[in-house]
Amino acid sequence: MTASLSLGIDIGGTFTDLVLLDPSDGRAVIWKESTTPDEPARGAMVGVERLLAKAGVAASRVGRVVHATTLFTNALIERKGAPTGLLTTAGFADVLEIARERKYELYDLFLEMPRPLVPRPWRREAPERLGPDGTVEKALDVAATLEEVAGLVAQGVTSLGICFLHAYANPVHERQAAEAIARRFPQLSLSLSSEIAPEIREYPRTVTTVANAYVRPLAETYLKRLETELKRVGIGGELFLMLSSGGLTHVAEAKRAPVQLLESGPAAGALAGAWFGRHAGLERVLAFDMGGTTAKLALVDGGEPLVAWGFEAARTKRFLRGSGLPIQIATVELIEIGAGGGSIARRSDLGTLHVGPESAGAQPGPVSYGRGGTEPTVTDADLALGYLNGDFFLGGAMRIDTATARAALARLADRIELDQPRAAFGVHDVVNENMAGAARVAIAERGRVPQDYALLATGGAAPVHAWQVGTKLGIGRVVCPPGAGVGSTIGMLMAPARVDRVASFNQALAHTDWAEVERVLAALQADAEQVVRASGADLAQRRLRKLADMRYVGQGSEITVALPEPLSAEGVLEAFETAYRRLFGRTPPGAAVQFVALRLSVAAPMPGAGSALRLETHAAEAALKGRRPVYFPEEGGTLETPVYDRYALPAGAQLDGPAVFEENESTFVVGPGARISVLRDLSILAERTA
Amino acid sequence: MQYTQRRFDAVELELLWRRLISLVDEAAAALVRTSFSTLVRESYDFSCVVTDAQGQSLVQATESIPSFIGTLPETVKHFLRFFPVEALQPGDVLITNDLWLGTGHLPDITVAKPIFRNGRVVAFSASTAHAPDIGGKIRSPEPREVFEEGLQIPPMKLMRGGQPDDTLVAIIRKNVRTPEQTMGDLWAQVVALDLMEARLKVLMDQAGLEDLSDLAREVQARCENAMRAAIAALPDGTYHSELQTDGLMDKPVTIRMALTITGDRIHVDYAGTDPQVDRAINCALCYTYAMTMYGVKVCTTPTLPNNEGAWRPISIAAPEGCIVNPVFPASGGSRMLIGHYLPMLVFGCLGQVVPERVMAATGSPMWGMNQSGVNAAGKPYANMFFFNGGMGGNVRGDGISCLSWPSNVSSTAVEISEHIAPIRIHHKRLRPDSGGPGKHRGGLGQEILIESRSETPIAVSFLAERTIFPAFGVEGGRNGAPGMLRINGEIVDPKRQYVLQRGETVLLATPGGGGHGDPAARDPHALEADLASGHVTDSTPYGE
Repeated sequence: MTASLSLGIDIGGTFTDLVLLDPSDGRAVIWKESTTPDEPARGAMVGVERLLAKAGVAASRVGRVVHATTLFTNALIERKGAPTGLLTTAGFADVLEIARERKYELYDLFLEMPRPLVPRPWRREAPERLGPDGTVEKALDVAATLEEVAGLVAQGVTSLGICFLHAYANPVHERQAAEAIARRFPQLSLSLSSEIAPEIREYPRTVTTVANAYVRPLAETYLKRLETELKRVGIGGELFLMLSSGGLTHVAEAKRAPVQLLESGPAAGALAGAWFGRHAGLERVLAFDMGGTTAKLALVDGGEPLVAWGFEAARTKRFLRGSGLPIQIATVELIEIGAGGGSIARRSDLGTLHVGPESAGAQPGPVSYGRGGTEPTVTDADLALGYLNGDFFLGGAMRIDTATARAALARLADRIELDQPRAAFGVHDVVNENMAGAARVAIAERGRVPQDYALLATGGAAPVHAWQVGTKLGIGRVVCPPGAGVGSTIGMLMAPARVDRVASFNQALAHTDWAEVERVLAALQADAEQVVRASGADLAQRRLRKLADMRYVGQGSEITVALPEPLSAEGVLEAFETAYRRLFGRTPPGAAVQFVALRLSVAAPMPGAGSALRLETHAAEAALKGRRPVYFPEEGGTLETPVYDRYALPAGAQLDGPAVFEENESTFVVGPGARISVLRDLSILAERTA
Repeated sequence: MQYTQRRFDAVELELLWRRLISLVDEAAAALVRTSFSTLVRESYDFSCVVTDAQGQSLVQATESIPSFIGTLPETVKHFLRFFPVEALQPGDVLITNDLWLGTGHLPDITVAKPIFRNGRVVAFSASTAHAPDIGGKIRSPEPREVFEEGLQIPPMKLMRGGQPDDTLVAIIRKNVRTPEQTMGDLWAQVVALDLMEARLKVLMDQAGLEDLSDLAREVQARCENAMRAAIAALPDGTYHSELQTDGLMDKPVTIRMALTITGDRIHVDYAGTDPQVDRAINCALCYTYAMTMYGVKVCTTPTLPNNEGAWRPISIAAPEGCIVNPVFPASGGSRMLIGHYLPMLVFGCLGQVVPERVMAATGSPMWGMNQSGVNAAGKPYANMFFFNGGMGGNVRGDGISCLSWPSNVSSTAVEISEHIAPIRIHHKRLRPDSGGPGKHRGGLGQEILIESRSETPIAVSFLAERTIFPAFGVEGGRNGAPGMLRINGEIVDPKRQYVLQRGETVLLATPGGGGHGDPAARDPHALEADLASGHVTDSTPYGE
């Protein structure tokens, strides 16, 4: 028997999700294990052994393991990384602390800014200087540099970030310093800005470099431990890591630049959206995940999640832009909104109905959980409206109480001068508008229209809200894939190997040295393909993308443009202007265009990335479980609505809305006037007919 | 006109309000991304607003600097005086940068577009943004009259029925150093107006609104009531504060404020403030209004959405001809050198009744260095770089080092600065001991050393304040360190223009914030950390 199975392990804050997939027939077995935060590998391994037992297969049959984890993000948020030092160009040790000089909230006098990852005494300066074009203006003083580093090592620093001015244009001094330091202090972990994030602007580049240094020793230890443990239980297959970009990489690359893994969990979720969307025959998908506290949205175009070239980590105020650390790493674009099942509904100071971002979380949780919650939440409203079944919450594992939910909503209704049903639907409607509003802005920022997308709902609460959110956005198709609770883990197993590389490239389009462009791209490609090849991916089927960050001369923000083949000034100009017009409607007349950076992305399919999925199903005759009154706004009241066990519905089944589909982790609610079909992979597709 | 007044319940109102906020934010995002001006895209030196047919604001973009939140709706009302609705047709775009009708200085250009429905104006979309250049003597306190400060555009039509006014465009292009960029930004503003219009029409269709009057009345009334309730909770009385600014260096300027709380109203009077001067630090009443409102809002209703209603319970008076209400033809290019002090004066008054809601003085007004010249290729250029001082300490903690306040203008990256200007920056670092000692110390200022590498001379001028009068401490806290400007090592008058030759240097040291509370009461661990980091090198003020 060949070692052909794929194992996915996704370690989240509360649960570790595991899935075992047989790519030959798409059969999947899933398992949920509690995360062990003190030692995440332990919980993961318990889960692995239980999953293998459940599936009844030998460890030796696992051919590869794909892993995503929030461990590194948490280390950053909780400030539990390695004692980290920073070496900068003389005169600029405070860049990290001076930061952007902007408030993230205009009217709050009591702002908390993100604390620098490296305290002042551990930020040291090296005598050296480069000009903006990379010319050496002052040679690196190696002896003085080593003396500074010796001081740091003596104080217990184990990891060092090196970020010199203009190193994106020329890495020479960073490399010289690194070589000398490595010789003298071989145990010190080194992260160079020219290797981690070679992009102009010293503050974000320094933060990214330092964040890498901060989590790197942890990543090395943890990944080594996980590899050993997997071998111990008899899994011989190779370990791959999920990157923030939605690609996979091998362990050596993950150990070198773990800052690329910060968003690996959410990226896996977006990939699952892409995968299910592709199987439903949908080109453009808005992946919509809603849990207890937050909702996440990701745009998927042409079967791939959109990738941004930077994001903000560890925000001091979770949903406020500017309150976190800028990380210049390719990352699946996620819009995060403070909207979840636990979001609390309140009368605002202005007398309107506010929902979230405050959340009742899991403790005390919604009022209906009976754990001491007193303020109504989105889950309470969903229950009162008939969307959720109090007797079949989490597959009946937990009873939630409709009467207390209604009572809490009635108290809220009094405060905002409405009747209870109107207030209950108001809670549902307002939280949907919060999500739809964020989606509208995000889609418009990319020059697209919502009507071109299908909404794909995963996570506990998204299927409950997706139909109504779709209505608000004018989206006609809503898909609810199977196994919503572990969707992101499934996504990982389908992920390609992927490498994104960037090089700073500051040239006017009119005077571009095209040979130089080709040379830079070739160097990036060689580097990227080497990593992809080492991952065992099929390079013959690789998809290569050559991109450029470009702007009009004088602008300060760039757009990323796919470069045409063959390269020419006219072709590039046309590609740039087309992309610009699409985003902004018009191009400024007479303005010159320039390159800022060249980017290259290589993705290649992994062997064993299955192309179908089969989950355990129930007997078809038990499909219709009963009927219950469910509130639909277009009816202005409740309709007696059929309730189905979704796993008892066979592929190919056709139904009409309204309908409710229950599974253990979630409930999919579809309104009147929908045509519903069960797809081959058991995804449920609801299409608006009116 | 006959119509039935529409009522909105708590849910409808929340939904419509959210939609309004998301449509102005969407327009703001488009403006940031298409703008040429570093100020717009990196410092959010702009705003977008939707007003009702009377120019009263309904909703304003979340990310914009405080001054425009106060001035932009007023400018729309001025437009209506010059162009009553009968004089408007669909596709018109109005424009002005008038110093008194706009924001108090010429680089800020405001555009507004009437939004029609069933043949009548139901709303305006409007935007103010800081242009890359407006001609005239570059952003310096030196101009004596507004005529020296650049091109003045009276309220007029940039577009008529969708057609640009080619004459006006030609005049603008001829009068600015950066015609492509200045016009590029103007068209970016027009894109933002179009976007707000399109989204608002969809919203009105979906909500079944014929016009915006009922919705406007409702959202404005809610904000007005909230502001009144917050004011009513404060004790009645008249509270006074005053402070001195560097002014013209040899001639400091005194600003005086009397703030009167009567029930649910606040009246602010600047009587006794020094007269206007023949330098460009005069602060036109529109800017005075905006900065005063900002101070009141921070202390009373910091989380309230911005619209017309919030400002109704507040009135402001300033004697004509004083420095916070200068008359034509006063210059005002550097009006923030007075205007940024005004929220501090509000704190001086309201701090007497709600000391827990204010902070010690900050190292603002913001600092900046403007450079202009002709590059080696013979092309004129102009750049402005900003630097900020430290915030004042407050009842909860230390002031933040190097933070823009009350404005919100970030500094330009060193690497970007060296790319776009022929300079080298030798250091940009925190100033030790610049934060005013206190139980909660003031935030630190910073020190920047810049050298010219240009073969051609660079004209430099500055925004620099608090070089004589430091940011004061409160509740027993000490003053922060004053700012300092040196050229080639010599302390110089920051209100004058200088010419730098290759190899010559400028050193800017921004002021630290004032301390809050008795320094002797500072947590010993916090002091120890300050000493270890070098933020404090002299612990004597802390009684050690």
